[in-house]
Amino acid sequence: MNMDVIGEIVYPIAGLLGLYGFVSLVSLLWEGIDRKLVARMQRRVGPPLIQPFYDFLKLLSKETIIPNTANYMFRLAPIMALATAIALLAYTPMGFTPVLASKGDVIVFIYLLALISFFKIVGAISSGNPYAKIGAAREATIMVSREPAMMLAIFAIMWRLGKLGVPKPFSMGIFYIHNIWEIGTPMSFVGAIILLYVFCVWLASEIEVGFFNIPDAEEEIAEGLLVEYSGRYLALLKLTKALKAYIAASLVVAIFFPWGIAGYLNLTGISADIANLLFHTLKVFALLFVVESVFRAVTGRLKITQAVDFLWKNVFLASLVGSLLIAMEVIM
Amino acid sequence: MTKVEYWVKIPFGPIHPGLEEPEKFILTLDGERIVDVDVKLGYNLRGIQWIALRRNYVQIMYLAERMCGICSFSHNHTYTRAVEEAGEIEVPERAEYIRVIIGELERIHSHLLNLGVLAHDIGYDTLLHLTWLAREKVMDTLEAVAGNRVNYSMVTIGGVRRDIDEKKRRIILDMIKYYKEVFPQIEDAFLHDPTIEARFRDTAVISKRVALEQGAVGPTGRGSGIRDDARWSERLGVYPDLGIKPVMPQDITGERPRGDVFDRMAVRIGELWQSLELIENALDAMPDGKIKTFPRDNILVAKLKLLVDGEGIGRYEAPRGELIHYVRGKKGSDKPLRWKPREPTFPNLFSVAEGVKGDQVADFVVAVASIDPCLSCTDRVAVIQNGKRRILTEKDLLKESIRKTREINPDIKGDPTPIGASCSR
Repeated sequence: MNMDVIGEIVYPIAGLLGLYGFVSLVSLLWEGIDRKLVARMQRRVGPPLIQPFYDFLKLLSKETIIPNTANYMFRLAPIMALATAIALLAYTPMGFTPVLASKGDVIVFIYLLALISFFKIVGAISSGNPYAKIGAAREATIMVSREPAMMLAIFAIMWRLGKLGVPKPFSMGIFYIHNIWEIGTPMSFVGAIILLYVFCVWLASEIEVGFFNIPDAEEEIAEGLLVEYSGRYLALLKLTKALKAYIAASLVVAIFFPWGIAGYLNLTGISADIANLLFHTLKVFALLFVVESVFRAVTGRLKITQAVDFLWKNVFLASLVGSLLIAMEVIM
Repeated sequence: MTKVEYWVKIPFGPIHPGLEEPEKFILTLDGERIVDVDVKLGYNLRGIQWIALRRNYVQIMYLAERMCGICSFSHNHTYTRAVEEAGEIEVPERAEYIRVIIGELERIHSHLLNLGVLAHDIGYDTLLHLTWLAREKVMDTLEAVAGNRVNYSMVTIGGVRRDIDEKKRRIILDMIKYYKEVFPQIEDAFLHDPTIEARFRDTAVISKRVALEQGAVGPTGRGSGIRDDARWSERLGVYPDLGIKPVMPQDITGERPRGDVFDRMAVRIGELWQSLELIENALDAMPDGKIKTFPRDNILVAKLKLLVDGEGIGRYEAPRGELIHYVRGKKGSDKPLRWKPREPTFPNLFSVAEGVKGDQVADFVVAVASIDPCLSCTDRVAVIQNGKRRILTEKDLLKESIRKTREINPDIKGDPTPIGASCSR
């Protein structure tokens, strides 16, 4: 009985807190690396690598201005968004089976990921600023356009992997038992490549870079959703954004590149998890380098209508084709 | 059941990250669609014409130069032309060639700046940084030739101040060689990039009719298909000898002009090439001889007092479009009675405000940047309250700003009166 309490409550909470600390550090560090890399691509010197930490600490100590027109949701939303991101960590595959992995938790994952954007929208429309409202409308528009392609693809992959035989179907831990490349048929290989493209575009639109930097467009609507935030709340939102980028990239890495290194190093237990986590972080950085740094260095932003067109007519169609190719031989 | 339209008015500016200078627009929006644009001028008012009333002809040259940091040569040059016309002063031919060279160097730097700003406004920061990196070369050249990166002080009434000797000529030729390698890359990046095409094509279309109605000039007018260039149509100075002709969008894109942001950008890219060519021709054709009519400034002031009687109009194609200065003087006075510049931004701003209707909010900042607005040039004294004309001095403006601050925040502490004597004009 006593062991059960420790095994089921203490360990997961300790693990979650440890993950939260680790992911906060590396996701902010990634932001610094990203800024430096993009600066080098643009022939600039760029800020120091730990600039995001300086920014975060400075924002925490700055005065927080609340507009007269704001209501209580304006103050609540950044906290809820960060809380959601932390909760999401318990369901994020990061080199090992997630802390709270269970049957069907992919739905929780998708819901929580959308909830972060939802809280940002609620906070923005509670500020009473017209630019924030335009930003919120854009965020909502782009959210409903980007999620269906991702959801269709992830359910198709999970369903197909479930057919290979897993203890907990539709769980985020499934990727460490079977992966998408193990299906084996040539058709599924082509489908997997198409879905990789779908997920990369989805990731770019989720972290809002390049084409999809529309809700936060600085030059058009003055940072849109964030326009009225300052001080502590802005710091929380920035941290949430960094965490979200790491989490969303983790999903793509887990689906397409789940391999760990613990097996090669003959590690077991907790040290295996740590080795895998570090290796996973490297993979996330590599993926974000392509999807975030390079993408935002070589493109500008689209109009909202063009982005919606692109997400439905191109990405959703690709998702449909990829999913069919993956599921093909089971259906037939 | 009637259709209910939820229109909302939002202020765009005076301070906005997408605008380089303070200027206010009231946008009427239907969702993301722009229904109406109301332009509010006057946020960058420095009372330049009022200051000029207290200065003589030579002092105004410095003032004109400082109206704007980017087209500082254009203002100075145009003002000088106006005074030269009023005083019937002959300019040595070599001076005209040097004016062409400096003017075209300025055009290159201004157009590169605007291309960077356009890229920045769609979030394409890589292009911004690379374009502005290329711009450093022409700034360095200007510094080597004139001594300053901006405000070159090259022009004086009746000539130019500094000669272009063999060393400076080599520096300029170096620059031309550098740009012959860089411009193809810039042209490629701007004309053939899918993001740029998606954002700039059919955005803020100013039809030829609207452009004519609102009097659009410069790249804005030429982008809409108006074949006009003050250097060409006025047969200005030595420009006809150097083979000037207006750059039209069809020369660059190969399609007929549509009057959108892309066409205006294409005209600018064409003018970059044209400027290089003009500088090269001018360096080749430059004759020897003296560079100014009056050797010293005190002689110039004394002569102008006698010579200038009546009015003169200077016209010049500034990088943004046709610039006009009007000067009226009286014999025996060393001050002009009236000095009035008219900037190309003024008509262009209203034509683009007309053109952007029906587009999205996202297009607005691109549309404003596409005319390359120079608002510090445009805003000047004009306060009419209840039908009474009033000129605001620095003191009045300070008083007004203190009043406004108190209105916003009555509990503010501290004494707002300036310490010591402020600039008392």
